[in-house]
Amino acid sequence: MTANNEKRGLRIAVDIGGTFTDLAAFDENGEKLAFGKALSTHDALVDGIHDTLVGAGVDVKDAYLFLHGTTIGINTLLERTGAKTALLITRGFRDIYEIGRINRPDAYNLFFGKHDPLVKRSWRFEVEERMMADGSVRTELGEDKVRTLARDLKTRGVEAVAILLLHSYRNPTHEQRVEAIIREELPDVFVSSSHHLSQEYREFERVSTVAANAYIGPRVAKYLEELEEQLRVDQFKGDFYIVQSTGGLFPIEEARRECVRMLESGPAAGVIGAQAICAQLGLRDAIAFDMGGTTAKAGVISDGRPLTSSNALIGGYERALPIQVPMIDIFEVGTGGGSIARLAEGNALRVGPQSAGSMPGPACYGRGGTEPTVTDANLLLGRLDAEHFLGGAMKLDLAAAERAVTTVAEKLKLDPMTAAEGILRIAATAMSYAVKGVTTERGLDAGSFAMIVYGGAGPLHASAIAREIGIRRVLIPFSPGHFSAYGMLFSDLRRDYVRSCFQKLAIVPFETIEGLYGEMEDTGRQSLAQSAVKPEKVTIMRSADMRYIGQEHAVTVEIDSALFARQDRDAIKELFDAVHQQRYGTCAPKEKAEIVSLRVTVLGEVPKPPKIHLEAGGDAPSAKALRATKKVYFRESNGFTDTPVYIRTELRAGNKIDGPALIEEHASTTVLAPRDTMVVDAMGNLDIAIGGRT
Amino acid sequence: MSATKEVDAITVEIIRNGLIAVTEEMKTNLMRTAYNLIVYEALDFTVGLFTADGDTISIGLGLPMFIRGMSETVKAKLKHFAAEGIHEGDILVTNDGYITGSHLNHVTFTIPIFHEGKILAFGCCMAHWLDIGGSRGTVSTDIYSEGLQIPMLKYRKRGEINQDLIDFIRMNCRLPDFAMGDLRAQITSLATGERRFLELVNRYGRDDVLNSVAVIMDQTEAEARANTRTIPDGVYEAESFMDDDGLDVGKHVPIKVKVIVEGDEMTIDLSEVGAQVRGFFNSGIATGIACAQVAYKCIATPTNYPLNEGSFRSLKVIIPLGRVISAVRPAPLQNWMSFPQTVIDTIFKALAPAIPDRTIAAHHADLVIATLQGISPEGNFFVTHVGPVGGGWGAKSSEDGVSVTVCINDGDTHNTPTEQLEAKFPVLVDHYTLRTDSGGAGQYRGGLGADFAVEALCPMMLNTKIERKFCKPWGLYGGGDGDGNSMSMRTAGDWEDNPQNAKLIGKRMNKGDAFMIRSGGGGGFGDAKLRPADRVAHDVVEGYVSAEAAASDYGVVVDVKTGKIDEAATAQRRGKV
Repeated sequence: MTANNEKRGLRIAVDIGGTFTDLAAFDENGEKLAFGKALSTHDALVDGIHDTLVGAGVDVKDAYLFLHGTTIGINTLLERTGAKTALLITRGFRDIYEIGRINRPDAYNLFFGKHDPLVKRSWRFEVEERMMADGSVRTELGEDKVRTLARDLKTRGVEAVAILLLHSYRNPTHEQRVEAIIREELPDVFVSSSHHLSQEYREFERVSTVAANAYIGPRVAKYLEELEEQLRVDQFKGDFYIVQSTGGLFPIEEARRECVRMLESGPAAGVIGAQAICAQLGLRDAIAFDMGGTTAKAGVISDGRPLTSSNALIGGYERALPIQVPMIDIFEVGTGGGSIARLAEGNALRVGPQSAGSMPGPACYGRGGTEPTVTDANLLLGRLDAEHFLGGAMKLDLAAAERAVTTVAEKLKLDPMTAAEGILRIAATAMSYAVKGVTTERGLDAGSFAMIVYGGAGPLHASAIAREIGIRRVLIPFSPGHFSAYGMLFSDLRRDYVRSCFQKLAIVPFETIEGLYGEMEDTGRQSLAQSAVKPEKVTIMRSADMRYIGQEHAVTVEIDSALFARQDRDAIKELFDAVHQQRYGTCAPKEKAEIVSLRVTVLGEVPKPPKIHLEAGGDAPSAKALRATKKVYFRESNGFTDTPVYIRTELRAGNKIDGPALIEEHASTTVLAPRDTMVVDAMGNLDIAIGGRT
Repeated sequence: MSATKEVDAITVEIIRNGLIAVTEEMKTNLMRTAYNLIVYEALDFTVGLFTADGDTISIGLGLPMFIRGMSETVKAKLKHFAAEGIHEGDILVTNDGYITGSHLNHVTFTIPIFHEGKILAFGCCMAHWLDIGGSRGTVSTDIYSEGLQIPMLKYRKRGEINQDLIDFIRMNCRLPDFAMGDLRAQITSLATGERRFLELVNRYGRDDVLNSVAVIMDQTEAEARANTRTIPDGVYEAESFMDDDGLDVGKHVPIKVKVIVEGDEMTIDLSEVGAQVRGFFNSGIATGIACAQVAYKCIATPTNYPLNEGSFRSLKVIIPLGRVISAVRPAPLQNWMSFPQTVIDTIFKALAPAIPDRTIAAHHADLVIATLQGISPEGNFFVTHVGPVGGGWGAKSSEDGVSVTVCINDGDTHNTPTEQLEAKFPVLVDHYTLRTDSGGAGQYRGGLGADFAVEALCPMMLNTKIERKFCKPWGLYGGGDGDGNSMSMRTAGDWEDNPQNAKLIGKRMNKGDAFMIRSGGGGGFGDAKLRPADRVAHDVVEGYVSAEAAASDYGVVVDVKTGKIDEAATAQRRGKV
């Protein structure tokens, strides 16, 4: 079932999120896009996918590519519903997984907590062996004991085995040998060893990564098998790829073994979608901003590419389990529409972090919530419509929202509208601080970026947040509610590799560096060559984590292969100085540098769907695009002001709308504040100039 | 500059979030640019914004114990130079330990933030420099042997850097390049604080910002008072002791505290804490006050941020000079962070009868670190810390203590990965394991400590100054004590405990010798016989509690292999059939 690159057809992307399963499909023959949405069915995810396909009128029989992102991995981790997992680890170190990094961020809270390992202590076993930091063997591997242990594990009913041996990033032979013995003895058990996932030093982060992979492995693999089976039944004959947290694709066979690489596939695909929009519009820098009901997240596209991170913390900072694999750097910048406004001692007004979630939900949902939320404030100010929420599918209770906001407003001696507007302003400024914090940390000036906004609640707040950050241009893409699935259509095949190497730049032999890079690149090329989809072009990107000698923290420097070919140490050093300067505002050209790790990304570019073309219209939207004129509250207008409400599906390319205005579509509403101007571009994006064009 | 406090609640909250963002960014800038792992991994630094009078507006942690030192340092500089003597473009510096309350490594820089020609606020940044000179491998007995003392000086005068001072510092440090790297990081952090604070002022106006600062302090004070009001009025006392001062081995140093609660105010009287000592375990009065303030924040406003002056208005601290936590010149201060932690634990102990549900049993209360220095096989001089190892925390009335976590002096401090340590220094970590039975028994069990054993791969010198071997972390309400901290050495095959204390000063190690830091557990809470038998059985199966201790301390007889409880034997031991 190899796809033929000449005869293309339908490309289908399905993203399973917490609440909805979204679909985007692109037919290359007719250049048509289709979208679908259905509630995620937690007990039967595969059925949910089937429903979505049927609902969108898309038949997998016609597809040559099925792309998929899913929350099953992260949910298995967070809900602790994974396999009975054993951990095999170097003698003397079985407790490092429980000890962790010993930090106590909640410094004055005597009721602080700490991470809870996925493998309990009695299932963590020590292996007789020891490597030194230089990769030499200090203690030979006690193979017989490993074999005895494997047999013992069998009687215990083990379902997955994770392996971490110290310094395996430098020399994996012991890990490889232990893995081989376990596979011989326990052929039906899911086995994962750390060097396959991360060849970077830091034993706690690596053990956490490999344990998570083993823990979620059996369940994710089973789900993927079920989905494959369903696709077979539906006569799908193409290729099946999974979206990684890097936003890149990997084949299902690899996804089954390295599930931990797909934890954040949905959010990552959203950033890839934003990157695609940047490419179409010729933008180099943008913030990808995604706000739903319970969280707001942001990613950064800098110089045309998403910023990535080599390590993510899953499950809140204080109790987080680290996952040390490359992924798009996506950070939480706030809560969502459900954030509760509450008074603390001394009448201090706080918005979040408590959230009403979906049960009871905001007061206006009428499900028993009595505390005011961001959504209630939006309703009260006229930005949401009680009759047209979710296309009218859900009626909102305006009186309940007003009662809830009044409870807080009265104590502050404010009228409810001022309080509601204040709640939104607090939420928007808090999110702007979070975005600015993350961008400045990376030496970037968010104010010079565009912002691409999606997710159900994003377009409601986009104008206010952008204004606070100092951003002048906001884009609301076509179909912001299906954006992750849409983004997947633009994903490339991708493999990432890292090797720790600890070498001084001034003296490291270039053969050593070339050797390591070469190994990684060959592995990547082979992996891509085995892929059914033949990429148009294979791109290799090299980078190195570098620091000044003596410094602890390293920065990742992208390095052109030519510099290595020329053996130009000075140019590499200058590049590092420049990155350090950009990131930290300081550098030390006279200080010597060292290389901590080498990184390679192998990208197999897949042909992209062409641009969407929205039918052109005139400057003014057509009469039927204007649904109503209503009173909406804006601080800039000192209160309620007549505001036109447009139907997005009736807008045409070239239509211009000046704020104040609302633009409604099925699952979201875009707010244009007074003085904002907007034009619908040729691809259907709402292109907003914050405060008007200058 | 009197604040009228006429500002709406929405602006206050926006500015509150803004101030937190400013100090977070100062912190990020410092951490990411710093040269030494004590700043980057151990987070031994603190940044903050202060009013024109030197009161704390917002502190970015950093070091939780440095809650007082920066404000005191800003105030001292203000007094020294007077407002008229501080100009735009100045940066003030000192490491005077009797002002910061801590050791000379804590070099503290302060920048005045000017607006329309007047000082509107101060930014301040303390960071622990890896080396500030002074002698090593001995217990210092005065401040002069602990390194370079920098009086209150201007590092920058009206924009011009004081190169004489830099040259002077460089010549007095063992690692001048590290020192300069950290200095640059601190200046970057201050510049960030200045720029971001002025952005807030320009965006919201000087008056709204200053008024909001005043209101934020009032709001924090309101929370502190509300939470103090719920503590029954009374006088509460407790005591404990420190092992020794490193010189007079075996001579304990008494810690006595008195807490007086009256309405919504608390007084913490530390007058009877032992007198300052000959060895380097003293700290300055700013740290003595910090002991009371840290304990009070944990009880009254544990999650209120930004950390500001309003947290402490309802707290009175009584502490005369000359105590071990309010030492005066020339008392040595190098190990300033050790004793105060036990003072804080003792305050929680005093409050146990008043607020059993909000207090905590004692913890290991030490950094549990070692310092190594020597010449590597490649011929390079090295000096490094090993640890913090982390230790057990006390149990509470509703939950078990947390195992192997940094002490109360430290916050978001990380340990060093073994793979990193071994790649950089000639050492081999033999094991890093939980200490079975180290947590105090109780209805809620104390957290476990850890063993951290390190072998030297070349000759080197070892220093440890670990406390609390003899004053074991106590339990509350009948809970048992945790194990104390201790040190073992392996020179000829077997591990040997250091019997006199947990301090090893200037200890020579040969290739193949090893040392082991054994961190203590936390105290238990409540009668161990009341701990449900199945939880004891679980602890036995997981190896947190041995079968022997389960039987003797908890009265639960468990088969270690199966986790099966011998009901009859257990009932007999627990005194019921």
